[in-house]
Amino acid sequence: MRAVVAATALLTALPACRLAAQDSTRIAEAQAVLAPLVESYGVSGAEGPVREAVKRLLPAWAVPSTDTAGNLVVRVGQGDPVVVFIAHLDEIGFRVTGIRDDGALELETRGGFFPSLFEAKPALVHTDQGDVAGVFLPRDSGFTRRTPPPLRVSVGTASRAATMARGVSPGQTVTMPKQYIRLTGTRATGRSFDDRVGSAAQLMALRRLDRAALKHQVVFIWSVREEIGLEGAEAAAASLGTTPRRVYAIDTFVSADSPLELPSFAVAPIGRGAVARALDNSSVTPPAYVDSLVQVARARGVALQVGTTNGGNDGSVFTPYGVVDVPIGWPLRYSHSPAEVIDLKDVVSLADMIRAVAETW
Amino acid sequence: MVSISTLRRTGGLADGQTAKAGLVACVFLSALPTVRLSAQGDVDRLAFRFASMTAVTGLEQAMVDSLRALFPGSTRDQAGNVTLTLGQGSPKRLFTCPLDEVGYVVGNILPDGFLLLRRVGGGGGGRTASPLFDQQLEGHRVTVFGARSAVPGVVAVKSTHLTRGRVATGAGAPDPVFTVDNAYVDVGASSAAEVQGLGIAVLAPVSLAKRPQLYGERLLAAPAAGRRAACAALAAAVQAKPKVKGTVVVAFTVQSLYASNAGLASVKARLGPFDDIKTAALPARYADTAAETVALADADRLVREIRQWMEGR
Repeated sequence: MRAVVAATALLTALPACRLAAQDSTRIAEAQAVLAPLVESYGVSGAEGPVREAVKRLLPAWAVPSTDTAGNLVVRVGQGDPVVVFIAHLDEIGFRVTGIRDDGALELETRGGFFPSLFEAKPALVHTDQGDVAGVFLPRDSGFTRRTPPPLRVSVGTASRAATMARGVSPGQTVTMPKQYIRLTGTRATGRSFDDRVGSAAQLMALRRLDRAALKHQVVFIWSVREEIGLEGAEAAAASLGTTPRRVYAIDTFVSADSPLELPSFAVAPIGRGAVARALDNSSVTPPAYVDSLVQVARARGVALQVGTTNGGNDGSVFTPYGVVDVPIGWPLRYSHSPAEVIDLKDVVSLADMIRAVAETW
Repeated sequence: MVSISTLRRTGGLADGQTAKAGLVACVFLSALPTVRLSAQGDVDRLAFRFASMTAVTGLEQAMVDSLRALFPGSTRDQAGNVTLTLGQGSPKRLFTCPLDEVGYVVGNILPDGFLLLRRVGGGGGGRTASPLFDQQLEGHRVTVFGARSAVPGVVAVKSTHLTRGRVATGAGAPDPVFTVDNAYVDVGASSAAEVQGLGIAVLAPVSLAKRPQLYGERLLAAPAAGRRAACAALAAAVQAKPKVKGTVVVAFTVQSLYASNAGLASVKARLGPFDDIKTAALPARYADTAAETVALADADRLVREIRQWMEGR
């Protein structure tokens, strides 16, 4: 059956990763790094497949280690002041909390999102033996409300025993099938761009990093369990303590660049470059540091927007140790939905920004 | 006013009996998985293939062209139905299967490159769409069938982060369903000119991106999976080359969800009268959702029943 599922996924694939004829080398590079990360599954607490994908994409010289929390860490250069870049590996989704007598799975959410986006859609249960296909069940009633009652998943069985015989058990994670798809121009859609784009940008920066130019040690972290409360970052921050001087959280800038959003803030159009996420729900970047970031961008000719949006970032849990949090994002439409939209130009801009900061600040 | 792109979608001149599949088939097939349709009648494969197809009611030409390629000797009538005559003499009987589905067309192209939609079907005529039907679009990938190619897009949804502190979420708070009037389609374009450059014009068919899912013991989940599996059973029965008693007209009909089932009515008017008429149908769970589920074992049984009926047993 799993072979059938795999074949199904393969055969239904649109020309997902096509390279547009006009793609520059940098756009092609961004896509080549990002697409396999987006198509890896890693609900908070089950980031293994994404962590392995990141490892495969690291430059040959990098020596990664995994800490006890599950964060992936790469250290480059030597000396003080230590600076940290941190992007998260995990994505929103569900975890199985129980199996009903009728074989259906009871779920809890992992991270914040609209559950209606999953109702009556295909599902994947991620087991140790591979993915088991199913469907998120539609509601029985309640047509007048947008939000469904708590979602359940059927894997096509009629009893608890039959479900367990498929290798499904409580604690496993559940998502829906996803694909990286190119849209017009340099834009693309998929699920979990948050924060695979940040993860990809760190990889791209590492690949091009001039290690000889580093004036101090730079620590790159790919963190776990960000979506459920910055848990991986908390462990990393506690481990590093007061050693770092600055932390750059590389995460989504949730953009109001959509006809459905109010333009009162979060105005950073996609395609116009990375964004200094100067104010969000978890941190405020000291203005002098925002100015420095802008200065670095100008010196390197990197497109950078400055703005404020909602959400928290991994860097905020470093601040109690006296570390300055300077979050850098990229604009994202339709965050935490199955149809997030980015512009690959922003991924390139973000990678260039990371590299510039690492080498010059 | 009929535009060039409208003519292209029909595959030729509007009343041409010998219209070629041509461009439309290219457009459609380019969006589909490359599953080869064998003559051996594999109902699973046919059901999967048909469930991958899009045939918005009244705009079924692409699927019709695909069926014509599957059945050499079949014809497409003026209404768009695909018909195939098996055997000869009496009795003269008809077996039908409706192809179409409730779907959407581009209703407007905005200056900033977003598309707006109009639903087609599901508005009455005995088949009213559920109030949640349009909500299935929200935040999901769609395919826009432009004149030159199938164009991927997404339907915009509010970012959950940006609703924080703005929307009351307590008990009794307003929680209206998503409607098609809120469906802004984003194909990645920044202007109407860019959209038009993709071959997208008003009236281009739009559907949820079709990614059928096999699960459990031969369960198939997809939009309109029940209808498509029923048509697959009919196709598989025909491919099995039954020894037909008398004459059996096989008709894959269009516009079953519009204009008083105009496709079937047209077949009856043009090729009837018939001594008996049957329509392929299968039970489906979670009907009219993107996870509509049909048991392919039921499709096996339907294939056998159709063959028996055709052979007069």
